Amino acid sequence: MMEDGLQTQTEPFPEDHVAFEKILQEVRELDPADLKQKLVVTGFVNHPYGEDDQRCLECMYYLVHRKWCDLPELAVPVEPEWWCRLWRI
Amino acid sequence: MANLLWLQGGACSGNTMSFLNAEEPSACDLVTDFGINVLWHPSLGMELGDNLQQMLRDCISGKIKLDIFVFEGTVVQAPDGTGEWNRFAGRPMKDWVRELSDVADFVVGLGDCATWGGIPATAPNPTDSVGLQFLKRDHGGFLGKGFTSKAGLPVINVPGCPCHPDWVTQILVGVATGHAGDLTLDEFQRPKTFFQSFTQTGCTRNMHFAYKVSATEFGQRKGCLFYDLGCRGPMTHSPCNRILWNRQSSKTRAGMPCMGCTEPEFPFFDLAPGTVFKTQTVMGVPKDLPEGVDKKGYVKLTGAAKAAAPEWAEQDIFVV
Repeated sequence: MMEDGLQTQTEPFPEDHVAFEKILQEVRELDPADLKQKLVVTGFVNHPYGEDDQRCLECMYYLVHRKWCDLPELAVPVEPEWWCRLWRI
Repeated sequence: MANLLWLQGGACSGNTMSFLNAEEPSACDLVTDFGINVLWHPSLGMELGDNLQQMLRDCISGKIKLDIFVFEGTVVQAPDGTGEWNRFAGRPMKDWVRELSDVADFVVGLGDCATWGGIPATAPNPTDSVGLQFLKRDHGGFLGKGFTSKAGLPVINVPGCPCHPDWVTQILVGVATGHAGDLTLDEFQRPKTFFQSFTQTGCTRNMHFAYKVSATEFGQRKGCLFYDLGCRGPMTHSPCNRILWNRQSSKTRAGMPCMGCTEPEFPFFDLAPGTVFKTQTVMGVPKDLPEGVDKKGYVKLTGAAKAAAPEWAEQDIFVV
């Protein structure tokens, strides 16, 4: 979907836990099977993002060997060079 | 024989409960093996009313030698500095605390409330509670910055919410058997023997900390609780993973984050909604990093650790 040009909401990046929790809550309200909306709300892109080239590889939720996002609200397969705005280190 | 008197101010009795669960040594061992004479204790004391008041007065006058004065709970100063909201044995507790501290050879503050105010002193602190010699990180508290007991030591602070049973009894035995001189205290007057290392020291999740694999839900056996669930183990001084609770476990071993209860700031962030059990971040990076680690180093370390993480680090290795 992302290769096909899916537009996602990459901004604003959650500055603190309150903003982070707000996005999480939006994700919780989605149909768990609605992958497209999950990607849109969390702002997924298929490349590093931001001045620091942030990427899933460094994110705490990323499981390197399974190439998996372990954040329960997301729980989706991801590539190490991707990024989303729920990135935490 | 060392006379010990234990009083309780603004408290939940948690440290008393902890004390009664001690095993090495036990509360009974203090009396039978180490010659501690418990003059009075809120749950064990026999004297009531006039008899208790007389005993306290005798301690203050010197008729009864007071070797160790143990205080649990905050010193309640409200309303308007009178302490009338916490009366005990006919007068404000704070007045007993002041006079008994002045005559005791050693003063021991047990639990967060007695050491730095703990939960009762959390803003807006309606009871005007303070610890014996600290209010959170501010040195001074009720007895004042310069206070020393007759033996020349400041208040010996044994924090925790509650403190571990054996921290209590081991410190009391040390003091009662003449080894107080061997105690070295840190900047918050905590015995270094217990409070030099971190809660993380001995944590079974250290492998997951090293490889940056996060626990994402309570009770998970894999993953580190620091990254997402607010664990303060890397920043908290306590031996909770060296001297285990109930001799077999700890919060982090059971899948619950350390809340940093041996540190003066506890409860952190004044218990604001969303701050408990959630790692506080600024632009995705933890606000409080492991002690001694800077942000730049942390980011670099994360990248390297993630890249080097072995496959087993992502699995539950504690198979029953």
